[in-house]
Amino acid sequence: MVVERITELAEKTVEIAIKLGASQAQVTTFLLDDALTRYANSQIHQNVASKNGGMIIKVILPDKRIGTLRANTLEESEIEGLVRKTIGIAKSARPDENFKSLPEPEPWTPLENAFINETAACTPEYRAEKVKEAIEIAHSKSSIVKAVAGYFSTKAIYFAVANSLGVSAYAKLTTASMKTTVISESEGSEGFGTAEKYTRNVKEINPTLLAEDAAEKSIKSVKPVKLQPGDYEVVLSPLAVGTILSYLGYMGFSAVPYQNGSSFVKYFLDKQIFDEKLTVKDDARDPKTFYMTPIDGEGVPKKLKFLIKNGTVSEESICYDSLRAGKENKKSTGHSIPPITRWFYDIPMPFNMVMEPGDSTIEEMIEETKRGIFVTYFHYVNPVEPTKAILTGLTRDGTFLIENGEITKPIVNMRFTDSMLSALKDIPLIGKNQEIVEETTVPPIKLNKLRFVGISAY
Amino acid sequence: MMFSELGKFALEEAKKRGVDYVDVRVGEIADEVLTIKNGAPEEIKFLQTRGFGVRVIVDGAWGFASSVDLDKKEAIEVVERAISIAKASAMLKKMPVRLSKEEIRQDRYETPIKENPFKIPMEEKLEILFEAERLLAEQSPLIKASYSYYRGYREKKFFVNSEGTEISQTITWCGGGLRAIAVKNGEMQVRSYPASFRGDFATAGYEFFESLKLVENARNVGQELIKLFEAEKCPSTTTDLILTGDQLALQIHESCGHPTELDRVLGTEADYAGTSFLTPEKLGKFRYGSEHVNLVADATVPKGLGTFGYDDEGTPAKKVYLVKEGLFVGYQSSRETAAELNLGESSGGMRADSPLSLPLIRMTNINLLPGDWKAEEIIEDTKDGVLMMTNRSWSIDDKRINFQFGTEIGWIIKNGSKERMVKNPTYIGVTPKFWGSCDAISKDDWRMWGTPNCGKGVPGQVMYVGHGCGTARFRNIRIGLI
Repeated sequence: MVVERITELAEKTVEIAIKLGASQAQVTTFLLDDALTRYANSQIHQNVASKNGGMIIKVILPDKRIGTLRANTLEESEIEGLVRKTIGIAKSARPDENFKSLPEPEPWTPLENAFINETAACTPEYRAEKVKEAIEIAHSKSSIVKAVAGYFSTKAIYFAVANSLGVSAYAKLTTASMKTTVISESEGSEGFGTAEKYTRNVKEINPTLLAEDAAEKSIKSVKPVKLQPGDYEVVLSPLAVGTILSYLGYMGFSAVPYQNGSSFVKYFLDKQIFDEKLTVKDDARDPKTFYMTPIDGEGVPKKLKFLIKNGTVSEESICYDSLRAGKENKKSTGHSIPPITRWFYDIPMPFNMVMEPGDSTIEEMIEETKRGIFVTYFHYVNPVEPTKAILTGLTRDGTFLIENGEITKPIVNMRFTDSMLSALKDIPLIGKNQEIVEETTVPPIKLNKLRFVGISAY
Repeated sequence: MMFSELGKFALEEAKKRGVDYVDVRVGEIADEVLTIKNGAPEEIKFLQTRGFGVRVIVDGAWGFASSVDLDKKEAIEVVERAISIAKASAMLKKMPVRLSKEEIRQDRYETPIKENPFKIPMEEKLEILFEAERLLAEQSPLIKASYSYYRGYREKKFFVNSEGTEISQTITWCGGGLRAIAVKNGEMQVRSYPASFRGDFATAGYEFFESLKLVENARNVGQELIKLFEAEKCPSTTTDLILTGDQLALQIHESCGHPTELDRVLGTEADYAGTSFLTPEKLGKFRYGSEHVNLVADATVPKGLGTFGYDDEGTPAKKVYLVKEGLFVGYQSSRETAAELNLGESSGGMRADSPLSLPLIRMTNINLLPGDWKAEEIIEDTKDGVLMMTNRSWSIDDKRINFQFGTEIGWIIKNGSKERMVKNPTYIGVTPKFWGSCDAISKDDWRMWGTPNCGKGVPGQVMYVGHGCGTARFRNIRIGLI
C-alpha cells in the first residue's frame, strides 16, 4: 500500500511540474521508518523511533536551468506549492550545459525478497530482549567483562521514482543490524572487542553469537603490549575489509572523483593494480547485499557491474548517475544513491559492493602468518592521497599479534598509513566466508604487508 | 498548526499518561545549498525539514519518538510510541535517569543578523559564486575541478518541558568558500579558501558570506594551488610545527572537543565514536597541555557557529573551561551526565541536528583562548620548523590519543622566515604530548571558524560547531608521513 501511494504521489507531482512549465521533471518520494535501541554500560541508554517521509523534486527548464528541492512532507495539498518553489529555484539558476537528459524508462522488476515483514514490524520489546540476551551472554563469559555497548536497529525503507520521460518505479526493503562491543578490565587495563551483524531479516540476528565473539576478543585484549610501528603481515576480519572497500568505492569508483582527476582508477586504466585474485562487483540485486534494491535514485534499473576484475580496473569500473554520465556523453550506470538513509547523497557511488570469496578460513590465514597483526576493526579511516589510494586509520576493538601461526598477545591499537595499491597488490589468502558490512559484502583477507606508522598510547 | 500549540498539546498528552518527565521539540529547518563547479551549477538545492520529537522518562528510562506529520492525531501516536519505547528501555535499566537541576525559563532567542540570507535573491548569490569560480578556474588548465560554495541555514524551534520551561529560538547561519583540484602527471593537489569542508560559516546574516570576499580571493587560491606542483615534498623529520587557525580549528575539534564530551567519557559512545582518555579521575588533576593552553566551550561567543540561546534541553548558553593553564578542568555535559558525575549543572551542550533527532552532547564553540604572541612573531621566533595550513586529511583514534593530519600547503621555516613552500604536509602526534609542547599562541589573528559537518551518534547526526583560535606553535613534532 505504501509504495502504491508514494508512486502515485511521485507521478502526480511530475505531472504538475510539467504543467507549470518544466521541460523535464523527476520526483522521488520516500518513507523511512527507523527504530534503534542503543545500549552502553550494560543498559539501554538511547531508544528512538523516527518516521520520516518526503520528496525530492527536480525540475529542468527548457533552457536547462535545474532546481532541486527536498521537503519532508507527503501531503498532497502541499505539492503544488513545492513544485512552484522548485521552479522558482531553477529560474534563479543558470543553464547547465552538462545536462543531457533524465533517464529514459527501462524494464525493471521489483525485488519482493528485499522486504521482510518481521523486520518492519519489530517492536521495542523485541529489540530490548535481544539486547538483554547479548548483555547477559557477554557478562557470563568472564568476571572481567565490565560493560557491554552497542545498538539494535531496524528500518523499513520505501521509495518511488517517477520522471516525465515515463520512468515510474519503486523499491521497498528492510534492514536490521546489531553491534555488540564488549569492554573488559583487569588490573586497570581495558580490552575491547566488537562483533556486528547486518541483514534484512531481523530474525537472522543472533545476539548470543555476537556477544560470544565480542566478549572473547575483549577478554583477550586486556593488558596489550606496544608493538613498534613498521611493515607487518595482516589478517583482516570482514569488518576491517569492509571499511577499506567502502573507501575505495567512494574515492575510486564514483564518477565525481574520476572526472575531477582525484580517483586512482583514472591513472591505472586496464592495468592490473591489485592482486589478480581480487574481484569486486557491485550488484544491488544480489541477496547477499544489505541495501538490496531494483532501482537507483533516478529509477534506473540496477545491474551487475564489475569494479575490479582479477585485480584490474577499467573505464567500465566507474559508477555514473545521469548528470555525471551526461558530462561524458554516456548513460547512467544506475548509481544515483536513493533516499535509503536520512542523508541526501548527491554523488553516484557503488553501494552494493561484493568481494568475491577465496577458499581460506581466518584460522588458516593466521596459521600462514609468521609475524603479523590480526585486525578486527579499522577506526576513523580517511583518504590521505586519493590518486595513490593512500588511507590512514587505526585498529580497534580486538588487535592481536600473530607469531609463528598463532595469536600470541593483544597489542595497543596502531595507526596505518599506506597506499591500498601496494597493500592489496599481494593478497596471499582470501576467505571463503563473506559477511555483510553495510554497503559491502566481504570475506576476511590476509595481506603480506601493511605499513603502520604509530601507536595509540601516551 | 503553530509549533507552540503542537508542542504544548504533545506535552499535555504525555503528562496525562503519567510520564516522569517529558520534553517536546517542534521545528523547521530551511537549508539552501548552492555549488558551482567548472562553470556550471552543480547543486541548486533547497532542503526543508519539519517535524517534532518527544522525549520521555518513564519508569526511570528514556524513550524518544519523532515524526514529520505536525497534527494532533500524530502527536498522540508519537507520545504513545515514546512511552512504549521508554518502557522497553526500563527492562534494562540499572539506575533511574536523574537530571541536574535547571532553572525554569520562558524565553526567546534569535541569532543577531543584519541581512536575512533567505531574503537575498538567489541570483545575487549565484552571481558571486559564478564569478569567483570563473576566476579560480582560469588560473591554470591544470585545474580539473573548481568549486564555489554557498550555504544558508535557518532553524526555527520551540522547546517545552514538563518542568515549565518554554523556549522559542531562531538560529541563522551562512557562509561559503572555494576549492580547486589540480592534476599534473598523475599528481593531485588541492587548495581551499578560507578553509576546507566548503569554507567558513558563522551564526550571522548574509553579511558574513559577503565578508568572505570569494571573488577577491579566487585568483590567489588558484595561483597558490599551481605553485604546489613546483614545491618540494614535505620532509619526513621531527621539527617545530606552526599551525594556522584553519588547521588548528580541526586539531582542537578532534583532540579537545571530542574527548571532553562527557557521554563519550561515560561510555555511551563506546560502540561507535569511541570513549575518551580524559576519564573522570583525571578531572582537575591531569596535565592536558602546557601552561599556555586554555580551552573553553563557549556557546555565547558572537558569530560562533555553535552559538545559540539555549541548548535542546532548555539549558542556557554558557562558557565553561575545559582546560585552564594546561590543566584538564571541565567537560561538555548534559543534564543527565552532569547529574551522574555530580557536576552541579549541565554545560549546555545537548543539541539535535533536527527536530526528528534525539539531542546528544555536541560541541558548541570549542575555543583556544588567545596567547600573547602575534602570528608573525611566532614565525620570527622559530629557527627550524614547518608551517602548515588548511586541512586535507584527518584521523584520530577511538580514545582521542593518536592523531594524524594532512594539510593542503606548508612552508619550511628557517631562521624566522618562510623559506619555501612544501607540498603534501602531514603530521602525527599524541594528544597530551602534542598540547604539552605548545609554547606560543597568537592573539592578533584570533577568530572564529565554523564547520557544519561534525558527525556523531547512532543513528548518525551532523552538527554545526565553531572553533576560535589563531596561530600556535608546537615543539618537536613528527612530520612527513607520506
